Amino acid sequence: MNKWTDLFLLHPLSDGWLDGLLFVTFGLHLLFALLIVGTAVLGLVFFLQDWLNNDQPGQSWNSKFMHTHLGLKSLAVVLGIAPLLLIQIRYSYSFFTTTGLFAYAWLAVIPLLIVAFLLIDGFNHSMESRSWLALLCGVIGVGALLTVPAVFTGALALMERQHLWAQFGQSGGQDFATLPALAPHWLLRYLHVIGAALVLGAAFQLFFSTRNNPEKAPRLRNWVFGATLAQILIGIPLLFTVAAELTWTIVAALTVGALAALLVLWVLRPRQSASEAAPRPVPLPAPRSLLWLLPLAFAAMLVGRQFIQDESLNPLQAANDAYRTERAKTMDPFRQPSLDAYALKLKTVYDNGDTIYDQACAPCHGLEGKGDGPVAARLLIPAEDIAAIRADREYVYTLVRDGVPGSGMPYFRLYDREKIEMVLDTMGKRFDMYGKADVPPDREPEGEAMFVWAETCSVCHGVAGEITEFGHTLLPPPPDLQKFAMTHARALEVITNGYPGTVMPPFRHLPQEVLEDLTIISNTFRVEK
Amino acid sequence: MIFPILHIPGLGDGMTIALDAVLHVVISHGLAIGLMTMLILFQTLTYMGKGPHWARITRSLLGPVVVVITSVGAVTGVGIWFITGILAPEGIGSLIHLFFWPWFIEWGAFTSEVILLLFYYYLWDKLAEKHPGRLTALGWGYVVMAVISAILISGILGFMLTPAGWPWGQTFDQAYYNPTFVPQVFLRLAAGLGIGSLLLAAWIAWRFKGTQQERGSALRLAGGVFLGCVAVAGVSAWVYFSRIPMTYLTHWKFAVATSYMSQLPDFLPTLNAVGVGVLCLTGLVAVLRWPIISRILCIPAILLCVFMVMEFERIREFVRGPYLLPGYMYANQVPLVEKLALDEKNENYLPRMRWVDDSGKLPPDMVAGQALFAANCGVCHTTVKGGLNNIGIRVAGRTLDSLNAIVDITENLGPFMTPFTGSESERLLLANYIYMLGTEQGYIKIPQAPKTPAAHAAGREAK
Repeated sequence: MNKWTDLFLLHPLSDGWLDGLLFVTFGLHLLFALLIVGTAVLGLVFFLQDWLNNDQPGQSWNSKFMHTHLGLKSLAVVLGIAPLLLIQIRYSYSFFTTTGLFAYAWLAVIPLLIVAFLLIDGFNHSMESRSWLALLCGVIGVGALLTVPAVFTGALALMERQHLWAQFGQSGGQDFATLPALAPHWLLRYLHVIGAALVLGAAFQLFFSTRNNPEKAPRLRNWVFGATLAQILIGIPLLFTVAAELTWTIVAALTVGALAALLVLWVLRPRQSASEAAPRPVPLPAPRSLLWLLPLAFAAMLVGRQFIQDESLNPLQAANDAYRTERAKTMDPFRQPSLDAYALKLKTVYDNGDTIYDQACAPCHGLEGKGDGPVAARLLIPAEDIAAIRADREYVYTLVRDGVPGSGMPYFRLYDREKIEMVLDTMGKRFDMYGKADVPPDREPEGEAMFVWAETCSVCHGVAGEITEFGHTLLPPPPDLQKFAMTHARALEVITNGYPGTVMPPFRHLPQEVLEDLTIISNTFRVEK
Repeated sequence: MIFPILHIPGLGDGMTIALDAVLHVVISHGLAIGLMTMLILFQTLTYMGKGPHWARITRSLLGPVVVVITSVGAVTGVGIWFITGILAPEGIGSLIHLFFWPWFIEWGAFTSEVILLLFYYYLWDKLAEKHPGRLTALGWGYVVMAVISAILISGILGFMLTPAGWPWGQTFDQAYYNPTFVPQVFLRLAAGLGIGSLLLAAWIAWRFKGTQQERGSALRLAGGVFLGCVAVAGVSAWVYFSRIPMTYLTHWKFAVATSYMSQLPDFLPTLNAVGVGVLCLTGLVAVLRWPIISRILCIPAILLCVFMVMEFERIREFVRGPYLLPGYMYANQVPLVEKLALDEKNENYLPRMRWVDDSGKLPPDMVAGQALFAANCGVCHTTVKGGLNNIGIRVAGRTLDSLNAIVDITENLGPFMTPFTGSESERLLLANYIYMLGTEQGYIKIPQAPKTPAAHAAGREAK
């Protein structure tokens, strides 16, 4: 078996390496994603506080603070590509299935991010000069940005819960309230992400933006403390929502993360009084220990998350790979025939009338134009014997271009004009389609036939062969006999036996002479015109 | 189909991808490669002692350009992955498995590119005066990474149209170093630099504040680069299109001009010729340092450039016809081998579809028809009246039996259409579903016994 019968079976790396790369790249992406969300939320909060306090110098610092947004968001986006690439290989089945079920929310991420990024840039640039504009940009921009983690956490939560996929799919992915099994975990996970964003965002700005403004440090330290505390409070019920998946490895990782978070709280604990001294001099705006405690908490939580994900996704991926392998076995014998068909297709160039006719027209009209092509048998209204048509070229062009409503003749506007002209050339050459109408010169129609035409045929075909108003109501409409005729034999056959499936009835009850005369009459209009 | 199938109602899958992709291409090529290269070139001229106005131009535009590149350009780039992951998971998933390493390396180049851009932007004020050489090096480092990123991605894009020997040999080299790889690299780089220099010329003509001489020299350089790029892009495009199999290329006019305008044979060639003429004239006017005429010509020239990007991408996407990955997978994500395997035993396709959307509003046959439509036709046709390429209007006037026949020969009727995948009975279910859509939307009239004039008269008498 050639495994490339299904490219999904082609793995560029072992699962272990993929896991490692995914862990590192996702960690980097998540770090910057959290920093940008944290920075944006804190930037808006600080702007509002300073605006209400009429603190203009404060806004100047806020603007410097928000100036980091451009770099953080750029790195968050670009670093997100690698985990996206890796997860589409490592967990292809769960990823594509879930994002498919989650489709519209997933797609909404694109405009949401564009709006968020542009408006947050606008917020930054206007906060010192145009407060109302900054408020508008900030609220909408940060609101849009906060929606994105909701989508991602929703998709990831669903990805890890295969038993909910069908239910979610049936609700159209819209009615989240009907999914009590998903909603608590999703909500807590989302809040946990936002909490992490505030912790890391505040900590990053604490070290990055307060060097020249140490008075801002307490404000940010309080945010790190409060958000870490919230993380622990949210983390406890969140743990219960994943209790079924917990293994000792996961519990160990989460315990390390929780301990690190508790230590963060300890080092940032509020002092009992102003006189209480810090344990030792702090050269940085915050305790140095945060520089390893926070990464430790982040990495430990990430390890726990990765293992929880593996627990649920690995069996699914293995089952899907097995299914694909089995399917590939059944498909493999058809590999060479499919390549042969593809090669033939590559050689078939639709740049001449013969090819176009043979491919597009012959299935119904037959290679000899007699209406006996391989799929003609499926048509209730038989395909026209076009070898027997004698019509104006422009009229045939309109029939080919627009089709014949009510019949099997489709429109061929899917070819450009030059190609339709090519096929018209071919039909002219092969079938003499634009030749003279076939009218015997030695016979004049007699009165009875003229009477039948005037009383019966002209209802649809018109006194002078044109399509009457009534004729236009028919499906399919009759041909315009001023532009369309047939060979004498074919016209006689149609008049005698009718055209099956249409309202053209058989007139075989009429005397043969009358039928012959009617045939001449029907073919004369194009000549007279 | 293993994954759920989503098609965008009304707008259609193709247009959804196109809206995102064209915006991305215009920004990633025109701004990230083209305009940024020009800005770095201008800053370099200051570093070389050609005058401070060159760097002044760069500084004026750097901020907004970086914001647009990192906000809209980067997000729409990732957006292509998001959209294709939803609309064509089998297709993009196959590509990712095949081209993992080029994509992963490209990610590294892209990341380096963004980091260098951020350094260039954030450190400008510190380095421009004191260490302009370092700033220049950062800038050209960025350009090198941007070019490497473009080269890496071109191999994958080329494969999607011209896999050449890969379907038979299946080696990575055959896939990546395909016939349109090299011309596409030159075409994309030249087009990007061309758009960038044109945008810069427009800005200089409209907004530059400096002496007449400074404006003239900047305009001449931007115009000269633009003219050169038009020439290189023209030659590259000619080589590129000459390497596409004729079986695909014969449909280029229909692909761009739609079914109605493709009936006007000279429309597109004339439009393109006029477009190239306007572009050349715009470049020439800039070289001649005529700012007022440049102002006027730059606007249609920019619009024409966007149109040509759209035209190129449309042709590239459309002409490969029934294939998403030629020789391997049809546009509707059915592998060529799977279609044949099903045909062999007249096997039903529906049991292979893991996800069938059943809202409970339709009877079982219609649910089956709907699912078969989504799998077979939904990638190109919408089902909403007024939607792009709506199937209802495409089957206007057809009968049920004729739809059954047409579905059987789609690949013959229009060589860019995918063949139907499924059993004979499923084909009838699909025809029935399409017939229902056409009828509901009023494009198919149910045949009724016609009333002859005599019957009309009889009716009046009875009253």
